[in-house]
Amino acid sequence: MNDDKTVMKAWTRAQSRLGRGQAMPVMVLGLAIAAIAVGQVWCVANVLACVLVPGGMPVATSALAGLVILSLLRAVVQMAADVMAARAGMKARRRLRGGVLDAILRGGPGLLRQHHTGELTALAVDRIEALDGFFSRWLPASVLWMAAPLVIGGLAAIVQPGSALIMALCGIAVPFGQALFGIGAAVASRNQFLAMTRLQARFLDRVRGIATIVLSGQTEAETRRLAAAAEELRVRTMKVLRVAFLSSASIDCAMVVALVLVALRNGSQLMTLHEQGAVATVMAAHVLRGLFVVLLVPEFFAPFRSLALAYQDRAHASGAAAAMRMLPDASTVRAAGQAVCDTGHGVAVAFEHVDFTWDAARGATLDDISFSVPAGNTLVLCGASGSGKSTIIELLLGFIQPGGGRITLNGIDMTTIMPEALVAMTSWIGQKPVLFAGTLRENILFARPDATDAQLHAALEAASADSFVASLPQGLDTFIGEGGFGLSGGQAQRVAIARAFLKDAPLVLLDEPTSHLDPATEADVFDSLRRLAANRTVILASHSAAVEGFGGQRIDLDRGRIVTSGESAS
Amino acid sequence: MKSSDSRAVARQARREGVLAPLFQILHIWRQRAPLLTAGAILSLLALLIGLLLMREAGLRVAAMTMGMIVITTGALRILGSARVILRYAERLVTHDAMFRALADVRVWFFRNLARGAAAGLGFRRAGDLLSRLVSDVEALDGLYLRIIVPLAGALLALPFLFIAINMVSTVLAVVVAGLFACGAFVMPLIAAMLGRRDGGMVNHAAAQLRIGVLDMVGGLREIATFGAEGRMLAHVHDRDAALYRAQMKQARMLALAGAASYLCGQAAVVVVLAAAMGLGLPRIAPLPAAAVLFLTVAAFESVGGLTRAGALAGTITRAAARVVAVADLPEHAPAEGTQPAPAGTDICFNDVSFRWAEGRAPVMDHLNLSIPAGQRIAVLGPSGAGKSTLAALLLKVVAPQGGQITLGGEDIATIRDDALRGRIAWLSQATHLFADTIRANLLLGRPDADEAELWTALEQAQVADVVRDLPEGLDSWLGEGGASLSGGQGRRLALARVLLSRAPILILDEPATGLDARTEQEFLQTLNDVTEGRTVILIAHRLTGVEKLDSVWRISGGKTVELRSE
Repeated sequence: MNDDKTVMKAWTRAQSRLGRGQAMPVMVLGLAIAAIAVGQVWCVANVLACVLVPGGMPVATSALAGLVILSLLRAVVQMAADVMAARAGMKARRRLRGGVLDAILRGGPGLLRQHHTGELTALAVDRIEALDGFFSRWLPASVLWMAAPLVIGGLAAIVQPGSALIMALCGIAVPFGQALFGIGAAVASRNQFLAMTRLQARFLDRVRGIATIVLSGQTEAETRRLAAAAEELRVRTMKVLRVAFLSSASIDCAMVVALVLVALRNGSQLMTLHEQGAVATVMAAHVLRGLFVVLLVPEFFAPFRSLALAYQDRAHASGAAAAMRMLPDASTVRAAGQAVCDTGHGVAVAFEHVDFTWDAARGATLDDISFSVPAGNTLVLCGASGSGKSTIIELLLGFIQPGGGRITLNGIDMTTIMPEALVAMTSWIGQKPVLFAGTLRENILFARPDATDAQLHAALEAASADSFVASLPQGLDTFIGEGGFGLSGGQAQRVAIARAFLKDAPLVLLDEPTSHLDPATEADVFDSLRRLAANRTVILASHSAAVEGFGGQRIDLDRGRIVTSGESAS
Repeated sequence: MKSSDSRAVARQARREGVLAPLFQILHIWRQRAPLLTAGAILSLLALLIGLLLMREAGLRVAAMTMGMIVITTGALRILGSARVILRYAERLVTHDAMFRALADVRVWFFRNLARGAAAGLGFRRAGDLLSRLVSDVEALDGLYLRIIVPLAGALLALPFLFIAINMVSTVLAVVVAGLFACGAFVMPLIAAMLGRRDGGMVNHAAAQLRIGVLDMVGGLREIATFGAEGRMLAHVHDRDAALYRAQMKQARMLALAGAASYLCGQAAVVVVLAAAMGLGLPRIAPLPAAAVLFLTVAAFESVGGLTRAGALAGTITRAAARVVAVADLPEHAPAEGTQPAPAGTDICFNDVSFRWAEGRAPVMDHLNLSIPAGQRIAVLGPSGAGKSTLAALLLKVVAPQGGQITLGGEDIATIRDDALRGRIAWLSQATHLFADTIRANLLLGRPDADEAELWTALEQAQVADVVRDLPEGLDSWLGEGGASLSGGQGRRLALARVLLSRAPILILDEPATGLDARTEQEFLQTLNDVTEGRTVILIAHRLTGVEKLDSVWRISGGKTVELRSE
């Protein structure tokens, strides 16, 4: 737990360092705004002094004009600061999201064993979106709350050191007040943030499973439980807020005290001057200075409020830091092989005493597996789920490496072959192909973006996909995938087969390609797969009876060991 | 199903244009009206005291320069501390009210989701749509705190400002009040209108990015096997960039709106000062001028956040519209029945016709099917043929457009939903295991089951050993941060839940999907043994041969059910 905290803190600190560079223009503009505000206050004080002490100073038309110009300037600078802040948030998000996407690709399919796709997507999209405020609001505010009052206080000190001291003392009281009420509140509010997240997760979980709840007749009971959970959260949150709001009340308090003290100080000075019957010019100069410092007080405290408002943005950062840890480090990258592999005469595959273990507690997944498949031949892997079929396929795909023994392709150790060469020599079809949001054409060309139309149509025909493609509303340009036209399981599998034909790799790995199909469709798909298998090395993992017709070598696996091996029945 | 989704979206889009959804949310909050109003009133009082404080402060400063004391220091102190205390109370009360109101929305939303659309939606596994709705509910907290309360404040400040300045100069009062109305109402309104458009673009871009990332994550295997990392990354980066463009556009618009509303306030200050100097406006006396100036500054400060809130209003109204649309019953929703469930459990589909949407091929066309009590039948057919529709019809998730379905001779349309669902238990691949303890998950099947009954059900479902091996047994937590079960184990847990219920009819909708051949056969054999004496409707795309069945039906061509034979 303590470890978690240090990691999170280190992450937050590193991000703050990186983000501060981008937030620099925002901070500079924030300081400029503080300086302009001082100018505006000076103009207002001038006009007021001129009105209040008739004859004390020349008519302040120029001060009024100055106020107009400074106000316009401040509006423009504020606009620029807002846009810059948005840009800083955007740049930080782009950097973080790029890193997360890279890490996901680097982690590869192995990540999906540990994490749900929804979880990873939420991290790459929503978590990072939620960090916007941390970079665009919190980081500038965390610097400006010290810097801006310094600028304002410094300028006030030139005019009236005494009043500046009052402001400074009240300003320093703010962090002390925050500390007094705030430390407990900060800890509690972090827990509260977690409790809030938990309630939201519970609500989402119950909504997702609403069909199960409704069909179990538990709607009323579950609704009551939900209401109770929300009520409990409210009671606990309010306990925290009661204290937390005190810390912002302390800002209000400090400001009111400063205002009253500065006003009283100037008031008594002016009263004295009045009683002494000072001349109008002296009077006017004093009024000007007094009004100036009084009007400056709210500007002096404004950055404190911005900081308090941005505080919740900070909470998102620690949440994101915790979530980031599900991603692999950059350091886990394996050294890539350099060997090339000649595949002109097909690919021969051999396993030599291969061991593999996913989880030491559950024992070896593969235990001393040896077999060889000559180029152009077929190997059928049979066995129950958990017997190690998919693990063999994953090893051949290079997603995982053997714990012991070695795998050779045309006699060359797989680990020494260049990753690009491995990708080029292998096609893979799994249980359910992923169809990307896009047109059917894009989905098939995914296998080879530079394929010609003729090659594309040949692949479609070979996969027997041409007939169903013709029946789609817009043929090859039909939009499929998320939000598009839904393809049936058999049609989707034909898309995968067309991809494999288009890629035309000498080694084909098939992992339960028909387990989601009904028998009639399964037979059709196996026909197409047999065509794909011709003149290629095929390794097929399946528990379907229909593989009997596939021919070739056969291995039966049980709990990671080969129990029988031989020629297939046909 | 797709087209009914798009119709639902269109229906929501129509509602979005009006204030109706907001009023409906307020209607849900009506029980909280006293508290919400109290919060608003406290906030108004705090504002009023704040305005008075600034006015008096201005007067005092000005008066002292002229050598007189108009109000006492005491009055200032009282106003000052009253302001701090009121601000504190206001924040507590408004937040408390908001939490209560949000809890009410959650409960209302959940109940309505369960009553209508939800069951249909859940049946269709529209998980992403549901997640979006949940975040919509959470977006509603801004409605009260950021829009209603400050808007009420602005409505109060306007007449106060006008009356106070009117005592000095009518012309000045009109000009300042006009500027105030501009900053507090016109600018936020413009921001809201622009925000609706830009917000829509941002939402669209975010959705596109999400789809892109989802594709990338889900397709990691495909990407790795085709070596498409670079292409996929470029694709997602494009969408990412599109999102940033939309957001930057919105940010520029927001910055502009913020600047415009700031300038309204500054214009008012300049006008007051000009009046004090007698420039272009009737000259006002110095003392009142100072009071008016301070008052104006404070009034404009109180509405400074409204323009930004206005820009967010689009998001909030859209969220509200989607949330209240849940109360719209879906087009196929059956009417709630009133009768108790009959004792008999013979099921009969008489001439039943159903299609999910106009223009789509009928899923059922004058379908007839009779399932006597205690029969074990299988319904086969390729995916999309309407096998699951059969379950949806029987569970009254949807109503047929023609014909009727009877249970024990009673039309199920007349039977109370909960009574009907008490007789029929449902298990499918969409059956949800909740992020909760195993015990709580099981008790959903029968809340009054005792420990022994839970274990019996687990034994029957052949998952007892797995649960026993968990460190906390029945009290182990499932889901995030809890025990992780394999797909097969999860399915068996769901089966145990179904077995716990005493429902005489079991609908098993592809109960073994995703299990390997041996596990599937064992699972189906378990089913043979433990469902003895109950009516079993097994929905599957194929049979493995181990199922013990009285008859097998096939939905063919998506139209009729024909007896195959057994």
